Amino acid sequence: MDVIMALAMAGKLSRSSIVLALLRLLPLFCGILLAPSCVATPDTVPATLLQVKAGFTDPDGVLSGWSPEADVCSWHGVTCLTGDGIAIGLNLSGYGLSGTISPAIAGLVSVESIDLSSNSLAGEIPLELGTMQRLRTLLLHSNFLTGAIPPELGGLKNLKVLRIGNNQLHGEIPPELGNCSQLETIGLAYCQLSGAIPHQIGNLKQLQQLTLDNNALTGGLPEQLAGCSNLRALSVADNKLEGTIPSSFGSLSSLQSLNLANNRFSGEIPAEIGNLSSLTYLNLLGNRLTGGIPEELNQLSQLQVLDLSKNNLSGEISSISASQLKNLKYLVLSENLLEGTIPEGLCNGKGNGNGNGSSSLENILLSGNNLGGDIDALLSCTSLQSIDVSNNSFTGEIPPAIDRLSGLVNLALHNNSFTGVLPPQIGNLSNLEVLSLYHNGLTGGIPSETGRLRRLKLLFLYENEMTGVIPDEITNCTSLEEVDFFGNHFHGPIPEKMGNLKNLAVLQLRQNDLSGPIPASLGMIRLQLAGNRLTGAIPTELGRLTGLKILDLSNNNFSGDIPPELFNCSRLTRLNLEGNSLTGAIPSWLGRLRSLGELDLSSNAFTGRIPVELGDCSGLLKLSLSDNRLSGSIPPEIGILTSLNVLNLQKNGLTGVIPPEIRRCNKLYELRLSENSLEGAIPPELGQLLELQVILDLSQNRLSGEIPASLGNLVKLERLNLSSNGLHGQIPSSLQQLTSLHLLNLSDNLLSGAIPGALSSFPAASFAGNDELCGAPLPRSSSCRAPRRLRLRLLGAEVSVIVAAIAVVSAAVCVALLYIMLRMWSNWRAVSVSISDGEESTASTVAHGKAAKWGARDGKYWKVGSVTSAAEGKYSSTSSETSVLHGKPARAVNSKS
Amino acid sequence: MAPRVALLAGAVVLLLAAGAARASNDEGDALYALRARMSDPNGVLQSWDPTLVNPCTWFHVTCDHASRVVRLDLGNSNISGSIGPELGRLVNLQYLELYRNNIGGEIPKELGNLKNLISLDLYANKLTGSIPKSLSKLKSLRFMRLNNNKLAGSIPRELAKLSNLKVIDLSNNDLCGTIPVEGPFSTFPLRSFENNSRLNGPELQGLVPYDFGC
Repeated sequence: MDVIMALAMAGKLSRSSIVLALLRLLPLFCGILLAPSCVATPDTVPATLLQVKAGFTDPDGVLSGWSPEADVCSWHGVTCLTGDGIAIGLNLSGYGLSGTISPAIAGLVSVESIDLSSNSLAGEIPLELGTMQRLRTLLLHSNFLTGAIPPELGGLKNLKVLRIGNNQLHGEIPPELGNCSQLETIGLAYCQLSGAIPHQIGNLKQLQQLTLDNNALTGGLPEQLAGCSNLRALSVADNKLEGTIPSSFGSLSSLQSLNLANNRFSGEIPAEIGNLSSLTYLNLLGNRLTGGIPEELNQLSQLQVLDLSKNNLSGEISSISASQLKNLKYLVLSENLLEGTIPEGLCNGKGNGNGNGSSSLENILLSGNNLGGDIDALLSCTSLQSIDVSNNSFTGEIPPAIDRLSGLVNLALHNNSFTGVLPPQIGNLSNLEVLSLYHNGLTGGIPSETGRLRRLKLLFLYENEMTGVIPDEITNCTSLEEVDFFGNHFHGPIPEKMGNLKNLAVLQLRQNDLSGPIPASLGMIRLQLAGNRLTGAIPTELGRLTGLKILDLSNNNFSGDIPPELFNCSRLTRLNLEGNSLTGAIPSWLGRLRSLGELDLSSNAFTGRIPVELGDCSGLLKLSLSDNRLSGSIPPEIGILTSLNVLNLQKNGLTGVIPPEIRRCNKLYELRLSENSLEGAIPPELGQLLELQVILDLSQNRLSGEIPASLGNLVKLERLNLSSNGLHGQIPSSLQQLTSLHLLNLSDNLLSGAIPGALSSFPAASFAGNDELCGAPLPRSSSCRAPRRLRLRLLGAEVSVIVAAIAVVSAAVCVALLYIMLRMWSNWRAVSVSISDGEESTASTVAHGKAAKWGARDGKYWKVGSVTSAAEGKYSSTSSETSVLHGKPARAVNSKS
Repeated sequence: MAPRVALLAGAVVLLLAAGAARASNDEGDALYALRARMSDPNGVLQSWDPTLVNPCTWFHVTCDHASRVVRLDLGNSNISGSIGPELGRLVNLQYLELYRNNIGGEIPKELGNLKNLISLDLYANKLTGSIPKSLSKLKSLRFMRLNNNKLAGSIPRELAKLSNLKVIDLSNNDLCGTIPVEGPFSTFPLRSFENNSRLNGPELQGLVPYDFGC
């Protein structure tokens, strides 16, 4: 038998050199054929061990004492049978070894236990290990071993423990392992194993532990595993296994731990799982299980952890009773389709409200279901440490008796419909670390008792209807790391000692009614106080917040200059001061805030010039200085800001020309320079800003010259406003290429000549106030002298010819001709490039952010067919022609023109 | 057993903390998942901090007044990787601007869930696969520019249902079959479809199957 196997191995190696293979196998033959003489020979063991050592790299020198002079039984890591000097164990675990495992290791035929785990060994597992008949324990886990698991390991008839996981092994699990009839432990987790779990594993009657987590295994769970009657732990989490959970698993009476998490198992949870009376851990999270939670699970009296989250389980949770599951500590049912309420008797079988320690439940996580009702039933679960019922439809109030749960650490009730106040008893939960109540309908104030929560790290109350003053006591919560009160109705000052909270990294107070100064004590990385009524100067102390990345003081009532101390906030990425009453010059030191990505100083009363130093903020994405009193010219350094997406300088007193250098800002999608006193011609270079999309607004300036034809290159542009300037000459026909344009305003200029045909679908208001402009959509009185619409009439004739041609040819249809026809049709269509567009979607979907700055007259300049223009579009016409091929109306050509 | 329970306990705390730090919508998560898929040598996604309440302070992300993500501007950003299905969760998105990058993989069908999308600009990337039929659910879509990619297959007929579509550019791909002629397609110029060597020209209704030559 052994010889046959050795020959089989030789055959396997025949691809390389048989001779070499035989040489490699020499120690094997020694083992197999000459075993009696080899085993006890002290001569061969040291030599073999030194061969094994030669394969290792030993940076720590732990094997330096392995010298032929010393007794092998004294070598580090070698264990001998007491008395007779026979080596039976090799334990080199965690010695920092790298290199490879030499096939010579198989020469250690007397060895019963090999432990090379937790090193950095690479290369393959030597198939020769499969001949070590005395081997009972093989631990190679936590290395960098590659290749497949050698099927030869199936020859290890005495092997009890095989742990070779946490390597980079791939390929399939060899079914031959089913021959190792003594196996008690198989550990193959954290590799890249693929294929199915071999059903032969089910032959292993002694198997107690099967761990296959974190591989890429496919297929189903073999029914045969139910034959492993001694199995205590079965873990196959994080694979790609599918199919149903076999009900036969209910017969695994020794099973203590069953982990099938993060696979693709489907179907219902078999009621037979309830028969696993030894089970302490059941994890089915992240599968595709459906149906209800079987009541039989309540029989699992030893169960400590039950995780059924992230499945498609439905029905009510009344089937679970923590009072029957007396040992249950974790109940995790999040992200399913469960509905109904939390059962009254969850922790108290009788449901009479005096649950005294009848349940061990410490953590209940029910988030992301469709559960409703109140949470009063949880009050009898007196051991609770974590409650997460977020993202459900719970109602009612936060029960004042919540302080009965004195061990509570995490309370997450967010994204529900809780109402009422935050009860002062919350202050008695002295272990509380996370209090997340956001997005509910809570009213009333923050109880001053909250200040007693010395361990509180996270306090999220945002998006509620809470009122009152933020209590000073909150600054006693010295562990606070993140505070978010966004979108409530808090008023009064920010507690002065807020900055004493050394661990506070996030303080979000936006959209409240806070007033008064910003406490100087604050030290943080994000400070967002937008949308309040804060007054006075921007405190110079903010300059001490050198770690500040975001400073948003927008829409308050700050006045005075930007304090020069802010220069110390060199990490600022966003500086939003818009909507205040700030005065003075825009400081040139802003150019030294090199991390700045957004600078919004709009709607203040800044004066002076735009500092050229802003060109040094090379990472700027949005620069908005609009609605101030800035003067002077736009510095050509603006062209250095090549990352710029949005540039808004509108509504100032800027003079001079538009610098042609702006062409280098070729990522601009929004450019607003309107309502200034800019003069000179529109630089043709603007036509190089190919990503302009939201708007190009140069209106209400003193621009002169002609509209550059290059603007026709801006094919993504949706709005173009050049109105109220002194532009003259003809409208370039290239503007007809602006197929994305739906808002055009060229009114109140000195333009002349015919309006290019394709632009006639814009309303007359788009062109009004240009006395010498003529043609549609302007009234007939302004019609041009020269015949202009010849081309379109010809088009009509051409259409009828084609119709006739198609009718005739298709009568005598043949496939070849058909193809030619297709080509003809293409050619015709190439000529008849559409001059009109489809219908506008509703104005509101297009309008976003600052679109409102166009003012109420917006609709006047919308293209024909848009909802807004429909009311006023008295010059527009939407009558249609009959489409050639379809015999039904299509908006193709504007017949008015 | 004990270490496993301890691990789970740790995970629970983390989960709670992370869950609480999230916005009431999961737009930030969806964007962060996109970041995880992208290789970003220029660091344009550096500011995308998942611990923030919402993604509105992230660069290249624009929100409306209700803190809903309406624009994603990552054009010309030298990012590579693929677009994942999670982007379909940005249900308030109006402008998806991912043009001129090295983005590969397929256009996920989940983009069809972006019911408020106005502009889908994926042009000049390395996208493969076919144009998902689900894009026909984008009822607000006005601009669809998928040109200069490696898209194959036929142009889904369902796109003719996009009644608001004003601009389409599918040029410079590897599309095949014929060009729809119904709905908004009755107005698109042929240059929107040029340089698709296997595209056969406009369809003649009822005479040739549209995937003729695919």
